[in-house]
Amino acid sequence: MKITETDVEYVARLANLEVADSEKKDLAEQLSRIVEYIEQLNKLDVSSVPPTTQILENVKHAVRDDRVADRTGSSEAGKTVKHFKVPKVITER
Amino acid sequence: MNVKALTVDGLLHLYRTREVSVTEVIASTFEEIGRNDGNVHAFLTLCKDQSLEEARRIDADIAAGKPLGPLSGVPVAIKDNMALRSVPTTCASRILATYTPPYTATAVERLRDAGAIIVGKTNLDEFAMGSSTENSGFFVTRNPHNLDYVPGGSSGGSAAAVAAGMSVIALGSDTGGSIRTPASFCGVVGMKPTYGRVSRYGLVAYASSLDQIGPFTRNVRDCALVLSVICGFDSYDSTSADVPVDPFLSDLDQPLKDVRIGVPKEYFVPGLDAEVRRRFEEAIKLYETLGCRIEEISLPHTEYAIAAYYLIATAEASSNLARYDGVRYGVRQGGDAGLADMYRKTRMSGFGAEVKRRILLGTYALSAGYYDAYYLKAMKVRTLIRQDFLKAFERVDLILTPTSPTVAFRVGEKTSDPLSMYLSDIFTITCNLAGLPGISIPAGTNSSRLPIGIQLLGNHFQEALMLRAAHNFEKAFLVQ
Repeated sequence: MKITETDVEYVARLANLEVADSEKKDLAEQLSRIVEYIEQLNKLDVSSVPPTTQILENVKHAVRDDRVADRTGSSEAGKTVKHFKVPKVITER
Repeated sequence: MNVKALTVDGLLHLYRTREVSVTEVIASTFEEIGRNDGNVHAFLTLCKDQSLEEARRIDADIAAGKPLGPLSGVPVAIKDNMALRSVPTTCASRILATYTPPYTATAVERLRDAGAIIVGKTNLDEFAMGSSTENSGFFVTRNPHNLDYVPGGSSGGSAAAVAAGMSVIALGSDTGGSIRTPASFCGVVGMKPTYGRVSRYGLVAYASSLDQIGPFTRNVRDCALVLSVICGFDSYDSTSADVPVDPFLSDLDQPLKDVRIGVPKEYFVPGLDAEVRRRFEEAIKLYETLGCRIEEISLPHTEYAIAAYYLIATAEASSNLARYDGVRYGVRQGGDAGLADMYRKTRMSGFGAEVKRRILLGTYALSAGYYDAYYLKAMKVRTLIRQDFLKAFERVDLILTPTSPTVAFRVGEKTSDPLSMYLSDIFTITCNLAGLPGISIPAGTNSSRLPIGIQLLGNHFQEALMLRAAHNFEKAFLVQ
């Protein structure tokens, strides 16, 4: 599938990225070539194949209680600043 | 003191016999960095004062007769996507140029607890996205064997530091070959352990289901030693595997009789360089003479691996990198027109071209209307690739391949064509998709004196066998 400059603008907005006008043409061409390559996956029939969501199915993963514990740096984190200065977040529509 | 060819084993012997002090070794290491790094550009940050202070402390311990740790006084370089408390951690990205973490990554902490001395943080492709270390937001790292060539990537700084004698060992991270490719291009040993073996706590996430930390060393014995220090369960990484860590060092010299080694027929691709192919075939013969049984195997879905990888990795990256928005980390731009404006301006000026490209591709793959066609399909193909390997490992114990289809390429050769750069990862990428361990071992150089690497892949948690096979190869190859 061909990626157009309009697609690039749309996806960039979704990703909170700004793309300069001068970059759009190149990006659309590069992404088109990559997506075209990726579409070789369509040769495979995977309708009955389950997706991989865990690589190691039989391994117990780390689950711990959610409680405060000492860790290098944890006591200092937040001490370096008294407050965070953020830009205006409420704007008129 | 010449530090260029030191191994951990050799260095600890020198310390034990008091032939040389830790302070001398660290001072010589920084002299070597001073001589070389102006050309190679492996380091982003040097920790000279802290290193010398640490060296003096260990020298005092040695003088007082205290026992040495497994890595006491060993210089180590850390890829700059792992957190080290109070030292900048930039991921070679402009967006994190001013970020200094308040904590240390578990793997780095374990090296320090073992006595290692961190000499500096090394260059990488921005956020580990690349195969050449040309995508760094700061500067390009060069291959110490020939400065016109790339060191491989994304852990190119770590590989180059070890290869150029600027550190004895190094840590890198491997998402699609980012340890093994630079190890192969720079002529050092590089290993990606099984997914979950080494804690990812403190490793800046690129693609969380693929990322894994591993060592660069000058020989396989050192690799086994570093691995035995950094592996093991960590409750701070929810994907850390609660599996016992084998004694990697004790079995290294055991012979390889009757070990079954598979050679995948799909890996003889058209782009396989003739000299690399010849060396790979010699490696197969060498394993035969070591008593191994060689079997041709099939990994039928290999040709789909790169496509699946570049969907899964970029989808995960687009999510992982959403946090760099100017609010909590690093630089901030704009904001006069409100929050959304600040996000966009910060991310536009902070991210480099390849990072933006991958975020766009990943966002596209996850967006409404395309999720099933791209991301979900890639996750299903990942299942097929995993099954290929599980089936192969019913017949063989290890799989032997070239690490990369070519030796190092020239700086600038592939930068204008992102897809051709992606295609160079063909032999390393499947291992990450299947969560397997993989190691690249030096196998000499080609006619232009550029290093060639061969790769061993093992089944999950079979690092001990892989290291034994790699060590036996290394010994036999040196004799040859």
